[in-house]
Amino acid sequence: MRIPDPDPDARRVILPGHAAERLGIDRRRFLATAGTSLGALALAACDSMGPRSAQRLLKYAEAKNEVIERALLRHTSMDAPPRGAMAAGSHFPSYFVSKTVPVWDPAVRGVWRLEVSGMVRNPLTLSLEDLAALPRTGYRLDHYCVEGWTAVATRTGVALTELARLAGVQPGAKYVDFQSFDDDYHESWDIESATHPQTLIVYAQDGHYLNAAWGAPARVYSPVKLGYKNTKYLTKIVFLPERTGGYWSDRGYEWYGGV
Amino acid sequence: MKRHHPIVRITHWVNVVALTIMIGSGLRIFNAYPAFARKGEIFCCYPFEHRPIPDRLTFGGWLAGARNWHFAMMWVLVVNGLVYLAFIYLHGEWRDLVPRRGIVSDSWQMIRFYVAARRDHPRQGKHNALQRMAYFAMPIVGIMAVVTGLAIWKPVELAPLTNAMGGYVWARYWHFWAMLLLVLLSVVHVFMVFTVDPYSIPSMITGGYREDLSPEARNARPFIHLLPGRRTATPHTDAHPRS
Repeated sequence: MRIPDPDPDARRVILPGHAAERLGIDRRRFLATAGTSLGALALAACDSMGPRSAQRLLKYAEAKNEVIERALLRHTSMDAPPRGAMAAGSHFPSYFVSKTVPVWDPAVRGVWRLEVSGMVRNPLTLSLEDLAALPRTGYRLDHYCVEGWTAVATRTGVALTELARLAGVQPGAKYVDFQSFDDDYHESWDIESATHPQTLIVYAQDGHYLNAAWGAPARVYSPVKLGYKNTKYLTKIVFLPERTGGYWSDRGYEWYGGV
Repeated sequence: MKRHHPIVRITHWVNVVALTIMIGSGLRIFNAYPAFARKGEIFCCYPFEHRPIPDRLTFGGWLAGARNWHFAMMWVLVVNGLVYLAFIYLHGEWRDLVPRRGIVSDSWQMIRFYVAARRDHPRQGKHNALQRMAYFAMPIVGIMAVVTGLAIWKPVELAPLTNAMGGYVWARYWHFWAMLLLVLLSVVHVFMVFTVDPYSIPSMITGGYREDLSPEARNARPFIHLLPGRRTATPHTDAHPRS
């Protein structure tokens, strides 16, 4: 905080009283200046995000919470929206990080294919037709957004466990990275969440093939993860020995993001 | 004899910090979707859907920051609450806090005193009947906040809990109500401390308390000295005859 320059005329006269008065600042202005300085000091140490030194503590808490969240995860706990809950239908929000809706243009990029790779004995490259020909799994599911809203939709696709079985995932694979063609959007998961029976590679929503707004041609979806963990516009599923962060996880959101 | 045990004093102030951060960050999280309706539905019971809480009442800066604070501070709140409850149970302080027989008529006498329908401050022990009810309600609402919070943290893994509250949307609504009740209790508590028993503030810091300045001794009502044509009651500081 800059203290206002004293009045050059006032400097010639030695004024009695408080130092601030001698500087040509009256009491009220001195108090106001002092008040803002203190306020600025308090803000620098503790803005609305809290004291900056607390960030390490928050990281520590996140790591501890992950241990609890992993312990709570059960492959037998299944999501089932209340019977009376309405399907969101066209109210289902559309969301992507690119400037415009990401659309796979076969004229530019060739035919879309989903790659299953990494720590697998038998890497797969699947077209949408290949995916649709695999055993089909569908659930009516809640979508839990990190923002706090939920939306109900019927998701149809292939269980990730099915793809993992076909690809022959090796025992050392502890993480899975879901990558997309929506700029650099990707999110990595723990293998336990990825192999939950309701984790699907979804190509249809409410009985129709996905449209571009909802992640066409395919996306991952699981009710055991918050929305942002569920990569849309999917291109690659990579099984890995280590976690690789993710688009929002690298920007301050919780990496685990379990529900 | 100190008025409040050190454990009560420490847990009180830890609770002030933890609750403030929990409420501030919770409101920031709420602002990411300041509504309760499931997408495509209308929610019956909240008149301010899609109207956010003013930013300066929130804490955490943005959604991720607020979530990180909320999910860290929740453990401070829970551990602090458990220490407090275990202590007052083992040490006997709960006897000053649970409603006892005659709570209704005692409350009625307090209300009569506060509205000046009764002259002298009722003497009802360390805490009067209204305080007892407030201090008894606080941990109960706190437990409600924690349990509803768990239900919206893990609606799939703890589905039976969430379903018992009517599902995720309702659990989130009850969590919001728990916050509202905590705010209400705290606001009334702070108001009464400052207007009726400001001398109790040191007792929550150092533990010391002057009985001669208690509301009973001063016959203190909130803001009574501000009412026109009413003289402040004489403090009973000098009870013995002067002759």
